[in-house]
Amino acid sequence: MTKTFPGDVVALENVSIDIARGEFTAILGENGAGKSTLVKILYGVYVADKGVIRIEGREVQIKNPTDAIKNGIVMVSQIPQLIDRLTVEENLSLSLARLGLLSSPRKLRKTIEEVSGKLKTKIDPTAKVWSLTYTQKQIVEIIRAVMLGAKLLILDEALTYLPLEERRKFYAYLKEFKEQGGAVVFTTHKIPEALEVADRIYVLRRGRLVGSLTREEATLDKVRELMFGEAAKQITYERFSEPYSVPPGRSIIEVKNLRVLGDFEELAVRDVSLVVREGEIVGIAGVVGNGQRELLEAVVGLRPVSGGAIIIDGVEITRKGVSTTRELGVGFIPDQPLRYAASSENTVLENIAALFSRKNLIIRWNEMKSLTQKLIREFAIWPPREEAHVKLLSGGNIMKVVVSREITYARKALVAYNPTRGLDEVTATHVRRCIRNKAEKERVAVLFASEDLDEVLQLSDSVYVMNSGKLYGPFDPVKTPREEIEKFMVV
Amino acid sequence: MRIVLLRRKKPLKYGSALTIGLSLALGVVLFTVFAWIIGLNPLLVLYTISSSFVFPGTVKDFLVLTLLGYALLVAFKGSLWNIGAEGQFHIALLPTVYVTLICFFTLEQVPAYVSVAVILLSIVLATIAGALWGGLAGAIKAYAGVDEVPVTLILNYIAYYIGNILILGPFQGKYVYGYKRTDMLPDPYRVSIIVRVPSTGNPLLDSVFAYVRELIMYFAWILGLLVVVLLVRWLFNNTTLGLRIKVLGSNPDYLVTLGYDVKKLTVVTFMISGAIVGFTAALYFHGYLYRLEYPLEYVSGQYGYLAILVTWLSLLEIRLIPVSAYIVASLIMGSQRLVALPEVKKALEAAGFYGVETSFRLLMFGSILLTYSIMRFLQEYELKVIRE
Repeated sequence: MTKTFPGDVVALENVSIDIARGEFTAILGENGAGKSTLVKILYGVYVADKGVIRIEGREVQIKNPTDAIKNGIVMVSQIPQLIDRLTVEENLSLSLARLGLLSSPRKLRKTIEEVSGKLKTKIDPTAKVWSLTYTQKQIVEIIRAVMLGAKLLILDEALTYLPLEERRKFYAYLKEFKEQGGAVVFTTHKIPEALEVADRIYVLRRGRLVGSLTREEATLDKVRELMFGEAAKQITYERFSEPYSVPPGRSIIEVKNLRVLGDFEELAVRDVSLVVREGEIVGIAGVVGNGQRELLEAVVGLRPVSGGAIIIDGVEITRKGVSTTRELGVGFIPDQPLRYAASSENTVLENIAALFSRKNLIIRWNEMKSLTQKLIREFAIWPPREEAHVKLLSGGNIMKVVVSREITYARKALVAYNPTRGLDEVTATHVRRCIRNKAEKERVAVLFASEDLDEVLQLSDSVYVMNSGKLYGPFDPVKTPREEIEKFMVV
Repeated sequence: MRIVLLRRKKPLKYGSALTIGLSLALGVVLFTVFAWIIGLNPLLVLYTISSSFVFPGTVKDFLVLTLLGYALLVAFKGSLWNIGAEGQFHIALLPTVYVTLICFFTLEQVPAYVSVAVILLSIVLATIAGALWGGLAGAIKAYAGVDEVPVTLILNYIAYYIGNILILGPFQGKYVYGYKRTDMLPDPYRVSIIVRVPSTGNPLLDSVFAYVRELIMYFAWILGLLVVVLLVRWLFNNTTLGLRIKVLGSNPDYLVTLGYDVKKLTVVTFMISGAIVGFTAALYFHGYLYRLEYPLEYVSGQYGYLAILVTWLSLLEIRLIPVSAYIVASLIMGSQRLVALPEVKKALEAAGFYGVETSFRLLMFGSILLTYSIMRFLQEYELKVIRE
């Protein structure tokens, strides 16, 4: 496969892989390596410039997802592709109807029961999708794949942000799936887990295939070296320093009995109170869709609150809006940063200048250029041109633009949702180190939520768990057993 | 073999120039084919249109359309589809008429400082009126969530009718013998410079002199245009407001995350756009129009709508606005000259079309818009034949 994107960005160059029936195949690579492009070509989201797809020796044309599904290939993405306002049943019927298939409500319910039973999670077929948890939504996606007759199931970072226990349930189910003759391809940035479940691992780097390893051949160091070369040494999940190694100062973010409504008017945040002090990092663990997004959006003033109070640096901002928090020097990395924190038609330079020139009438382009060049160098943004249009950057590189900009902007506080989502391990480690330094050296208060528990444990001075809109904790990230924290995530 | 559509990996070399040039050439050819079908000599059509590109009469339309093109560019950059330049233009004429023909109307000469003061006051008030009328559309979009296209379109008609009521009422002139029009703009308030150039007998030289005469006549407009170009360039290249407008056109959600008030920005963008339209309207009144007549909708030559074509044709590039304005101005002139030809009227009637001269003119603009849309698409995408 060869695929080039506008702006001469080579996403894949002569990459060939084999996927065997009854096998778990992992595709690994750093940001912009081309793993997502490769699976999207298999699923017909992109059409390759050059290359062929053969299924059991027979060449097939996959021009769109419908072609892929007809050939037994179904993909589940990290973000569920379901319609929130419809019920589970309606969503599934719609997917089938797209292929001209009909299914009786009885059969539909039977499949839902069967698959969800195997995954040990109850799903009500008449429930609206918005009311489901993230795990349940991903199960619905798997059910959809089964009903569409998937022989090859692609998981594009689809399980990455589930707690380990939940992921293991999926892996058990998928093991059964492959034993019945199915094949599973998954992309992930969690190398240890790939080593645990994959039968074969392909490693991509800058669009080229740099390694193909069997489970026996693969080791953590070997895979990391293939993925990152020399830079692999920088990766670590060890803590950078002990919790509260620098004593925290006065309170910067204060949240008192906060109640916030979600997108569907449901109570998403239930009487949450917490304090983040100068130089302190507070991490919120939890499965996606438990109110973390709504809480953080309310804290920065993006979402109206229905009760309680928010005080930032002594200023009550409860109903003042995001403009006030920005003026107070709050950096913010939102959920779906590509949608809410970047402008694709503008250049990297303009994306950065839009935040840093907030208070000026005239943009100081020279200053902005130096700042952008510094961020490009420090965060290895590719392509390394400040005039490059954001739409030409890969998802991971856009994330680097967003994260580097917000961390640099934060003077008093940094509020972040999944600050390293979509970043490769080397960059993710760098980002976590930057956040730690920001707190310790510049005394910035950091409040972040992450679905990656490893990240929460590595970075936080104090850990909370958010479940069904309620906050549990605080927990000591070093002394509290991981299992105990995970228990609060799924109860 | 199959044909696939692929997004271009590299921007097409000279893509903008090619798009404009080819859509224009192919549009004119397409129109000529229509003309040929109804029995017109295609060579006559092509000659009349192409000779209009070197016709001194285009200068006036060129200047007005360039100014209005910049006005719409400001809004279009923010993906705010201001179809209401027509209404903003006519609303802006009203304070101009009030100041010059009601408050400071004179039949005598006045000192130069009075002339300058009245003209400046009139321009400022017209600019404000245009801004307010534009801002009204922006506010309806931002705060009531109504799409700006129907809103600006409806506001155009409201502006026409407000003007008509005033012309039939308080603005009707004292020296118009009962006609439904305002008085004539007094000489001291005119900004056009009339120069008489005698014919030399040499057609080329006469044509050059005619251009010079037109440029001198509309010298005040050229100065106004310079101000607008510099301001628009400065806005988009140097100011945070310009950058915000550009981001608004790409991703308003990002602006919200940055802490900007998108609603206010929408209103402000519309106001800037409307202000430039208002400014243009005042220059047009002081430099060419001199009076308003009932019904108002025939006053401006539909510049407000033609400016949309100018801005689209420029691909929203600041430096290409004058180019596309010149093209559209030449086409206006070409189409006017064409329908004035007796052969055209005869051919249309022979084909069974009566009184359709205006539609026939518009057919040319439609043809160009069609080829423009195709070229614009091909600028972004390429068709490839894949042999299997």
